This record gives sequence, structure tokens and C-alpha cells, in this order.
Amino acid sequence: MIYAVAVATFKEWSVYRTHTFVSVFVGPVYFAVQYFIWTAVYGSRPELAGMALDQLIRYFAATALIGYLTMDFADWNLSMLIRTGKFLTFALRPIHHRFFALSQKLGHRVLGFALEFIPCLLIFHFLFGVDMRPANLPWTFLSVALAFSINFHFNYIIGMASFWVVRTEGIRNVVSLIAKVFSGALIPLAFFPEWLRMVQFFLPFQYTVYVPAMVFTGSFTPWLVGYQAVAALVMYLVSELVYRRAMRRFCDVGM
Amino acid sequence: MKSLSIYKICIKTAVSQAVAYRFNFFLSLLITFLGSLLLPLVAVLIYGAGASFPGWSFHEVLLIQSLFTVSQAMAKVCLGNVLWDTMIHVREGSFEVVLLKPMEPLAYMIATTFSPDSFGNLLCGLALFGYAAAHAQIVSAAAAIGAGLLLFIAGVAVMAGIQIIMAATSFKWVGNSRLPEIFGSVEAFGQYPIAIFPSAIRAVATFIVPVSLVGFFPAAALLGRAEPEAFWGAGLSLLFLGFGVWLYQHMIRRYKGAGG
Repeated sequence: MIYAVAVATFKEWSVYRTHTFVSVFVGPVYFAVQYFIWTAVYGSRPELAGMALDQLIRYFAATALIGYLTMDFADWNLSMLIRTGKFLTFALRPIHHRFFALSQKLGHRVLGFALEFIPCLLIFHFLFGVDMRPANLPWTFLSVALAFSINFHFNYIIGMASFWVVRTEGIRNVVSLIAKVFSGALIPLAFFPEWLRMVQFFLPFQYTVYVPAMVFTGSFTPWLVGYQAVAALVMYLVSELVYRRAMRRFCDVGM
Repeated sequence: MKSLSIYKICIKTAVSQAVAYRFNFFLSLLITFLGSLLLPLVAVLIYGAGASFPGWSFHEVLLIQSLFTVSQAMAKVCLGNVLWDTMIHVREGSFEVVLLKPMEPLAYMIATTFSPDSFGNLLCGLALFGYAAAHAQIVSAAAAIGAGLLLFIAGVAVMAGIQIIMAATSFKWVGNSRLPEIFGSVEAFGQYPIAIFPSAIRAVATFIVPVSLVGFFPAAALLGRAEPEAFWGAGLSLLFLGFGVWLYQHMIRRYKGAGG
């Protein structure tokens, strides 16, 4: 089942491959901006906020690449299905919709791997001369897989808000804004004040970008990946809990 | 005159529509306001960590970024939805509806897509500008302020040009919702002191896609550091906007109404 849905999604999005391929321009351009900004900011400083320049450059390259592997819009998709009443067709199927959505995401990201991840990896490595070899491949793989799971389940929970409120654009925009700041995609969390980093420890955002990127650069302890695993488990359990509650009130009126 | 009176009516309608859903409108204002703070947040954290952009104080960098935010917001309010509406019409093959109106199509699209949702960006940009201007060493000479104003107008023209070029591109690249990402990535070069970039990027950002006019050059002029190439770039900004208008009209002539 997972294979069939993933392949169907892969084929569907392959039709719009230039849509995905835009990343090959956008990713390196944003990376170039970061590259020059931070090179200028570091000047002759050996390190800032405990990070050396080459580590920071690798961090930004890693965040871009990890983003291509974990990118998700399950919230938008689920909201659309609920709002239009199309969710009923999934509620009637003998398969959990979350599993179906996860299979779709896998197919979509396999395409992202081919059209976004690989070309950008080559650009970062050969054009910008960034060492894109992970410090520890098994830990990086595990951390990215956990980030993938956390990102998907978190977005799925946000999408389920549509079972209670009709328009979720506002909620999704607020969450997206918070995630952008606290995930570490904008700037490594090492630059944030200590108290804010403590707060972020209890939020899921840093486990989707900052932690896997730090694991990639080699600045991690296995405990950090352990916390990430706990966050992934919590996100899964919360999504299941919310889903069960949502199914009790689902009436499929749509609008 | 006719176009202006239609534009006024459309603005009133758009604002009335927006405030009809007050909660959604104010939430959008809040989100766009806070979203605009992300750009200076990086500068805050950089300077907070004891580092800096060489030769630029925090308030000077904030001045660049506030002017960028104001220009970008003005373009978004007035032209931001031209892309999305054009894209929808082209994809559905319904642009004929626009062509049938007794008005120049681009002017009609601009008038009917006024976007109050981006007021939050504008308010944030103005607030940041007020704060940065109060703390940076702005030159009070009329020549510096005049040059800053001239370059700011040129920057708005560049942002308007970018919006129209994006909309024109959607005639050919049907339904690609990632067009703003492409142009947004190029705009990022205009958000920081241009001197930090290599000369090739500086040349492109000044003379080809003159994004350095959007924030950097007006701020430099206000700080009494205007450079001669800024004024060459200002002239090019009008050409850039003109190119955008020409391209949109050219794409309309190639429009076949087949959808996509």
C-alpha cells in the first residue's frame, strides 16, 4: 500500500517537475547570500556563538538539504480535504488517512531527493567548495528520519485544526512564522539567548532543522538524538489522540 | 483619470472586503507585521553576539532593512496579487474576462488586486525606519535627504517591476506557484550592505536586477555615503519597471486562452 501511494504521488508530481526543480536555483542563491553575509560578519574571528565559520557554512548547507528531505504540507492538504468535504472519501477507506498522507509524502520527497537534494548537494560541494560529507552518516540518517517524522506529524496535527475551525490559514501562518524562527532555519539557535534556547528545548521546532543540521556537522551527543526520538514519539501520540477526538465530531459538511 | 477613479473604487472595495472578516484581517496584519521582523532579527542576533557587518553599525543595517521592507510592502500592497490573479486566469483560461473590460488589462489587474493584507509589512517597515532613523547618524542636509528619497522611489519602482515581471512570467510558466521564491531569493541581495558581496554580484544587483536600490542605496544616501553608481542604477530602475510593463503586455499578446 505504502509503495503504491508513494509511486502514484511520485508520478503525479513528476508532471510538475519544473515546480520542484525551482529549488536548484532558489536554494543555492539563498545559500550564496548566507555564505557572503557570514563570511563578512566573521571577518578574522575564529568563532561566534561557539561556531567556527566553516561549521556555520556547513550548517546552512545542511539545513537547505535537510529541508528538501523533510519538506511537508500535510497541514494544507488535510485542511483542504476537510474544508471541501473530500475527507469523507478517506474516512471510508480501510486505511488510516495519516498513513496514506505519510505514504504520499514519501513519494513526494523521493522526487525531492532526485530533483532538489542531489543537484543542490553537488552545487554546494563543487561550486561553493563546502564539505558536504556528514560527520557521522548513521546518526545523520537517523536524525533526518526523525526530523521527517516530527515535521509530518506536527503539520498533520495543525491540519486537523480544520475539524474545529473552518479557516486555518491564520493558525498555519502563525505556526509557520514561529517554526521559521525557532527551528534554526533562519540562524543557528546557538545565537539565541540562553533562556530562549531552554524554551526551544520543549518545542518541536528545533528537532526538525537545528538538531539534524548539528548532527550533520558533528556537534551533537547521542542524547540530543534521543530527545529528538522522544519528540517524534510525542508528536505521533498527540496526532493519534487528536485524530480520535476529531473523528468523534467529524460530520463531513464541508463548505 | 478614469483609471484613477476606478482604482480608488477598487481600493475602497478591497478594504471593505478585508475588514468584513475583522478577526482574519487583524490576524493577517499581526502575522505580516511579525513576519517582517524576521529580517532584522538576524541582524539583532549577529550584533548581539558581538559581531557586525564591516563598516556598518546595527542601526545603519536596520535602516537598510527597514527601507527594503517599506518598498517591498508598498509593492505587495499595490501589486502583490497581480501575480496570483494572472496565474489563476491563465491556468483556467479565463483571462479573456480581463481583456473584455474597457480598460488597459494591466491597469485593471493592478486596480482589482489591491491587497490590504500586506499593511502589516508596511506598518512594520515604517516603525523600523522610524526607530533606525532616530538612532543612525542620518545626514540632515537637503541634498542627502533628496538623494535618499529619489533612490527610495527608484527602489519602489524596482520592486514594482519585479512583481510585474513575475506576473508576466506566469503567462508562460503556467501555474508555477514558486515564482515568488525565485525573485525573492534574488531580492535577498538587497537586504544587506552591498559591499559584503563580490563585485560580480554587486554589478548584477545594481545594473541588471537593481535590488541594491531597494534598501542599500537609499540608506547609504541618507547616511551621506551615496555612491555615483547608485544614480545610474536609479535611471535603470525606471527602465526595469518599463521592461516589466512591456513584458506583461507582450505576454498578453501571446496569450492563447487554452488554460494549463
